[in-house]
Amino acid sequence: MALVAALRRLSHASLGFYSWRAAAATPTFGAWITGQRSFTVGSQPLRSDKVTVHFINRDGDKITVKGSPGESLLDVVINEDLDIDGFGACEGTLACSTCHLIFEDDVFKKLGRITDEEMDMLDLAYGLTDTSRLGCQVCLSKSLDGLVAKVPESVADARQSQDG
Amino acid sequence: MVHLLSSDWTHLRLSPRLRAPIQPGRSLGRICIHDWPRISKFLGLSARVRGARRPFINRASSWANKNEFRSASGHRFMVSARKMLQQALRVSCRSASPLVKWMERWAECASARPQAVKPLGDMPGPSVASFAWDLFAKRGLSRLHELQLEGVRRYGPMWKASFGPILTVHVADPALIEQVLRKEGQHPMRSDLSSWKDYRRLRGHHYGLLTSEGEEWQSIRSLLGKHMLRPKAVEAYDQTLNSVVDDLITKLRLRRSSQGLVTDIASEFYRFGLEGVSSVLFESRIGCLDKIVPEETERFIQCINTMFVMTLLTMAMPSWMHQLFPKPWNVFCQCWDYMFDFAKGHIDQRMAAEAEKIARGEEVEGRYLTYFLSRTSLPMKTVYSNVTELLLAGVDTISSTLSWSLYELSRHQAVQASLREEVLSVLGGRRVPTAADVAQMPLLKATIKEVLRLYPVIPANARVITERDIQVGGYLIPKNTLITLCHYATSRDPAVFPRPDEFLPQRWLNKEQSHHPYASVPFGVGKRSCIGRRIAELELYLAVARILLEFDIKPDPEGISVKPMTRTLLVPENVINLQFTER
Repeated sequence: MALVAALRRLSHASLGFYSWRAAAATPTFGAWITGQRSFTVGSQPLRSDKVTVHFINRDGDKITVKGSPGESLLDVVINEDLDIDGFGACEGTLACSTCHLIFEDDVFKKLGRITDEEMDMLDLAYGLTDTSRLGCQVCLSKSLDGLVAKVPESVADARQSQDG
Repeated sequence: MVHLLSSDWTHLRLSPRLRAPIQPGRSLGRICIHDWPRISKFLGLSARVRGARRPFINRASSWANKNEFRSASGHRFMVSARKMLQQALRVSCRSASPLVKWMERWAECASARPQAVKPLGDMPGPSVASFAWDLFAKRGLSRLHELQLEGVRRYGPMWKASFGPILTVHVADPALIEQVLRKEGQHPMRSDLSSWKDYRRLRGHHYGLLTSEGEEWQSIRSLLGKHMLRPKAVEAYDQTLNSVVDDLITKLRLRRSSQGLVTDIASEFYRFGLEGVSSVLFESRIGCLDKIVPEETERFIQCINTMFVMTLLTMAMPSWMHQLFPKPWNVFCQCWDYMFDFAKGHIDQRMAAEAEKIARGEEVEGRYLTYFLSRTSLPMKTVYSNVTELLLAGVDTISSTLSWSLYELSRHQAVQASLREEVLSVLGGRRVPTAADVAQMPLLKATIKEVLRLYPVIPANARVITERDIQVGGYLIPKNTLITLCHYATSRDPAVFPRPDEFLPQRWLNKEQSHHPYASVPFGVGKRSCIGRRIAELELYLAVARILLEFDIKPDPEGISVKPMTRTLLVPENVINLQFTER
């Protein structure tokens, strides 16, 4: 138990080490409305620099949040404490495909080059489409203001709809 | 295989990665048997299938998923797709065996009523005695990868077997492996019972990344993942690794005989692997590639090898056998003792040097993994065990893959020539590639992928789902059952990879020739996948590119073909000798 406690402490330790789980558990009431709160280390950009992002969750709900240029879409989901089940399991280390997002054609073209490594991970994603990307590899820029990212159906959803 | 006959299909793309339209008569790949009822229901038809080994298709299942997804926005698309499919799937039946006919009837029936879930007791598999006989009397432990192929032949994609005291369910179909991996929870577990964990408990060591579980595992994984897997972090290791590759090239020159022959290349690549992983862990060199190799590093490598042999043996032996033959377990422990001591020695040495610097008032800033670990509030015992496990994980893996790569390239001169051309054209006159350079070498990446498909270093991985019972392939697998994922079998499956035993790197570059993405996953998938993957890939790319720039690689004129064998990991069975001709 002492070890576990020590490890918990580690997750808050210095060196800029920062636990995603802890962040997810931190209440951020209203954060997604104002878009003011950010967990990213560094200076807080001015509000006018923010980029608006719309997520369409699995249940069809549209969630509108703001992120800073340079942040990845996974950062935005974590920082804004969005409730997307199982999203970003590997913490942005390009080891899984749980931050899979689907974009509109014109937005997809603006997202920049896909590396081979991301492509390989995408191939393992559930419900892959032509305009799929991994949220951890898409970084926000001013030109992406207002982008819509759709969270694909998960395996569990597919099973439920099949059973139903 | 289901073949398409109607031109209506030309408008449909089955795989999003498939940019070209589908032509009539093209194969769709395979559909998992268990998706078939759902798909045939969706299509409203009963397809007649041609005599493939397993007649159904995978790609179409992802296609069906995709269309379910799309149907939310465009119902019309789905209806027209269904019509087209009904019309399109007039499937040829050239060699319809009775089995295939039975399968058709089964598919029709199954689409009408949901299939009952079978208990584990109904799963086929060898008896305890016959499997034990295979393991101990017929060299089964070193042929475990071949037993996977035999298992598929005899029992189909799922079977159960008792590995010593442990009952394990084997899964040898890409779609079923995908199902298992998608059900791993927040803290995936590889195996609950293991001799590695027993040793640590016995000696009072802490667990490292390979052996820890739950929250303990998660915090270390999060810390190290940031430094080992993120693309930006990995790029930063290229200079460190290139200096190790420099030494490897020098050492290969030194080892060449007058005819250019280098014997037992794997032994040199073991040292290269250990030197590489040490440079990343300690940001200092330990001299494995020097003219005279320090004795302690040789012994460390020997211990890794012996430990891997003993791992399988000690796990397969029932407890009464341990009492009769105590030697394997004792040797296993001695090997671990030496490895822990080796790691501790190097860490303490590094920490002492650091402390000295601080005492002199110098600023200390490291970019190596031991530094990141030691700068947390982790107990030193945890640092020791993690570094030990990272050290050993970087040796066989690199050595085997590099040995097989050069072995296959020496036997495929055309591929070697194209690869060299690719390296030369990207470097444009420079001699030392960087991380940014190798990122632009698709054939190099395809070569490593193909080598790892043929010779996956981890021929079988494992998962234990602790949260709940799961349903896989029509069977109910109770929670805490050890599930063996047979990667060797899937990556050599002729239904997934045509001409599976041939070295054909081009198959990874041909976008139209798609295969099930879970058929070859040599590093695993998800948050418990190999943490050293990106560093290992970079190390391999840099080494292969440099070796090809410096040497022409040819087979040993008196050499024989070398087969893989299992030693927990998959390694070459015999020594590989190759001819290195200066360019």
